[in-house]
Parts: sequence; C-alpha cells; structure tokens
Amino acid sequence: MNTTTAVQKKRKPESIGSGYLNILAPLIVLVILIAALEFFTRAFGISRFVLPPPTDIIAQTISNFPEIWPHFLFTLKIVAIGFMISVPLGMLIAALFSQYEILVKAISPVIIWLVITPMITLIPLIMLWLGTDPNLRVIVVIIQATPIITLNTLNGFTNIEGEKLELAKSVGASKRQTFIKIIFMNAMPQVFTGIKLGCIFSTIGAISADFVAGTVGLGSRIVQYTKYNSIELSYGCIIIIALIGICLFSIVELIEKRIVLWKN
Amino acid sequence: MEELGKKTLQEPRIKFDNVSKVFETRSQEIVAVKDYSMEVLTGEFVSIIGPSGCGKSTLIRMLDGIIKPTYGAIYLDGIQVNEEGKMPKETLRKMGFIFQQPNLLPWYTVRENVALPLRIFGLSGQAWEKRVDELLELVGLTKSGQLFPYEISGGMLQRAGVIRAMVHDPEILLMDEPFGALDELTREQLNMELLDIWKETRKTIIFITHNVEEAVLLSSRIYIMGTQPGRLVSTVNIDLPRPRSLKMITQPEFISYKQKLTKLIGDLDLSKIK
Ligand SMILES: Nc1ncnc2c1ncn2[C@@H]1O[C@H](COP(=O)(O)OP(=O)(O)OP(=O)(O)O)[C@@H](O)[C@H]1O
Ligand SMILES: [Mg+2]
Repeated sequence: MNTTTAVQKKRKPESIGSGYLNILAPLIVLVILIAALEFFTRAFGISRFVLPPPTDIIAQTISNFPEIWPHFLFTLKIVAIGFMISVPLGMLIAALFSQYEILVKAISPVIIWLVITPMITLIPLIMLWLGTDPNLRVIVVIIQATPIITLNTLNGFTNIEGEKLELAKSVGASKRQTFIKIIFMNAMPQVFTGIKLGCIFSTIGAISADFVAGTVGLGSRIVQYTKYNSIELSYGCIIIIALIGICLFSIVELIEKRIVLWKN
Repeated sequence: MEELGKKTLQEPRIKFDNVSKVFETRSQEIVAVKDYSMEVLTGEFVSIIGPSGCGKSTLIRMLDGIIKPTYGAIYLDGIQVNEEGKMPKETLRKMGFIFQQPNLLPWYTVRENVALPLRIFGLSGQAWEKRVDELLELVGLTKSGQLFPYEISGGMLQRAGVIRAMVHDPEILLMDEPFGALDELTREQLNMELLDIWKETRKTIIFITHNVEEAVLLSSRIYIMGTQPGRLVSTVNIDLPRPRSLKMITQPEFISYKQKLTKLIGDLDLSKIK
C-alpha cells in the first residue's frame, strides 16, 4: 500500500504542473496573437472593414454589451439545450442500432449522409414546416449534432478486439453485462470524441439557424452589425460564439479526464 | 493393479470425442482441428504441445464455450457442453481460462480486472473479496491493485491474467501459453508457483505450451499435436516423481523425456517438409 500511495504522490505534482502549462501555453499564444494583430492593423493602417484592431473590438463589444447580452443568452440557451438533447439521443440511437449488425450496416451510410449535409440548407424548410418561433432552432442544433455523436459512438461500439468479447463469453456474461462492462467501456474514448465534435456542431447549428432568419441570436446580430458597418461588433459576436464553443468543449474535456482515467 | 482398476472406472472429467473445427474464411476453409480425442481425469495436469497454428488455442476455446466445435462432442463431467454455442454459467464456473495474451480490460484497475469473474458470476461477499486480495498477494500484486493495466509490466499483466482465471475457484484451469511472452527467469518462477498451486488445490489443468522443458516439468501427460490439419500425433506419459523441482532438469530421466519429445516434434516438422 505504501508504494502505491508514494507512486500516486509522485505523479500528482507532475500532472498539476503540466495542467498549468496546458492552460498557460495557449494563453500566451493568444496574447502574442492579439498583440501582433494590434501591431499590424495599426502599423499598416489596415481598413477597419477588413480587420479592426483587437483593442477596438474589445472596447466596443464591452460598451455595447447590454445590447448583445440577450442575444448571447438566447444563443447559449439554444446551443446548450440542443447539445444536452443531442448527446443522450445520439448515444441512444447508437446503442439501439449496435444490437443488430445488419442495422449498423444499414444505418451507417444514412448517418454519414446526415453528418455531411450542412443543416443550414434545411433551415428554411424546417421553418416552413414548424413556424418561425426562434426556440425551434433547438431542432436545427439537434439534427446537426446528433448524427456525429451517433457515428462516433457506433464506431466505438463496433471497434472492439475479439479477445475482449471472448473474455466475456468465457465467464458467461449476459448480453447486458457484456454491453455495459465491455462494449460501452471500450467505446468510451470514442464516445467522448463524438461528444466533443457535438459541441462544435451544436454551435454551428445554432449560428446557421440565426443567419437564415429572425432577429434574435448572435448569428442575427452579426448579420445586422455587418449591415450597419459595425465591424468591431461583428467580430465581437464572432469571438463570443467561439467562446461558447470553447467553454462547452472544455467542460466535456474536463469530464472526460475524470472518467477516462485509463487512456494514457 | 488396484489403482489401475480405479483409474479405468473413474469417469473422465473432460472428454474430447472426435472433435473437429473448420473455420470458413472468405477465401478458404481452414481445418484448424481434425478428429481430436482426449480424456482428462480429475486432478490431472496435462499439456498440449505443438507448432504454431496447430489448433491448440482452438481446442480449449471450444471447451470453454468461446467457439463451437464443427463436428464431434466435448464432455465435461459426462455432460456434453457447448452444443448450442452458449454454455450455462454453472458449467462455465467450473473452468478458468488463461488467455494467450494477458487480455486485461484497460478501463478497470488490476484489482477490478481480477475480480471481474466474481461480478459476472454473481459471487459477492467478504469471503470472495478476501480471496481477491489473497490471490493478488500470492503473485505479488497487492501494491498494484489500484493501478491500471497500462501502469504495470508485462509479467505483472500476465500474473493478473492467471489469478483472474482462478478467482472464482474453478476446478479446471485452461491455460493457453500463459507464460509464453515472459523472460525465462520469470517463466520458471511462475511454473514453480503453478506447481505449488496445483499441489495444494488439486485442480485439473490443461496447459498449452511451445516449450518442451516446461511441459515435461509440469505434466503427467503430454499430447503432441501436428499441423495442417491440426491433429493429435502422439501421447507421452511423464512418469517422473512428484513433487518436481527445477533441480530435476539436469537429471538423466528428465533429459531423456526431453529428447524423446524433441525428436517426436522434430519428426513432425520433417514429415511436413516431405
Ligand atoms: N477465428 C478464426 N477464423 C479463421 N481461422 C482461424 C480462427 N481462429 C483460428 N484459426 C485458424 O486455425 C488454426 C489454428 O489456430 P490456433 O490459434 O488454434 O493455433 P495455435 O496452435 O494456438 O497456435 P499458436 O501456438 O501460434 O498460438 C490456424 O491456422 C488459424 O489460422
Ligand atoms: Mg494459440
């Protein structure tokens, strides 16, 4: 027992150290990037219609934040709800289909087709069918994000070494036990890959829905600000959207690190 | 005479009756095992030896319900097993299977891996948990119980695989080259540990190996298999006294058994070339 704890103690500071570095390194890169952009835009007098200096973007976004805030909340709501429905839905569909090999074969091309189709193309139709209530954009998010989660989860379920299944057989594991203790656990890293891609697809889905119609959402703000030459605010909204995506992604990654302890 | 009489009356624990296994692949049919027959009595330690690809793994995988025989029948305690391809848990509980690769599940800790058969067979309680700890201690893995498989060495993985097969206290151990991937020193040490275990618990053991010396040291009887198709070529009884130890390796009887087996296996290769 003593050496085990010693080993764990030794490992901990190491991982904390690299943890700091993981956060610090991208931040430094970010600061350098902003400084460089600031320098180039000002030094070469780049038109603010092309790229306004970062400090202007930040200053204007902050001073106009009360106006942006409700749109931010709306987009956040659409992305979050859509994502939270997509994850269990995508996994559930994969779990159901994976029970029968023939279903996996039958459904895979359809899922790939769904993943590839940009859902923005369907948005006018969806609005035609369902009406123009902005909250319906959740549906766009769901059909954009669910297939990629299903696809990755399904890959994880089918991508398993025969030996692991033989182990299950040799101890007489039931179908349920085999699924929970072996197939699902084996798929976990790929499930998380799917979920992380789901974060990205959710944001894309929400923003593209905003673009097509309506007056709410950060996407619609970008359209408006660009129309009225408030380029700084357009960029501000783009950054906020990116931040939503990054936060969601980071939360999932954090959870993954807590759960998938065995991935080296 | 009396003992011989008893032996013949005793029903075999395990019986292979003309078992064949044919694999159908995309391009051809592979006869992995052809007309294999073998009887193993309770408490016997038998080895199966033969060149790579002669169907050794296939044999015990059929016995343990992992794959179905194509022809013939396999009996455990007089009851035909593995007819429908799915075996009842009570039958499987009698056997412990040690894989050619350690085959630990990466997502469980070493201890969780070792305890897996208990969870699946539904064996719970203090006594079983204590058994897990005792087995971990037996093979020097107590301190590694909470580590993940990727954090321990190859030899440790293999030992974990061995005790996992024993955790539910099976009466029969099926061992598929359990120490094949290990260095000679570790291998010899584990062989002696295995003999100790066998002596104390009197388990019935089917041991698969490539290694003649290992087979002679451990077994009461050795089955030699040939390849293409995988089949039984000859059976050699090893009448060396027990308990056996590594010291015997240099004794003349031991060496003559070794030579005899090496010759039998060598002839086999020659006939293949012809
Ligand atoms: N699932 C399978 N599908 C097709 N062929 C198989 C399958 N499993 C085994 N075989 C074939 O059956 C034959 C025997 O394989 P097996 O694994 O039993 O050999 P082995 O004696 O254990 O060899 P080794 O000593 O290398 O482990 C081989 O020719 C192999 O190609
Ligand atoms: Mg083998």
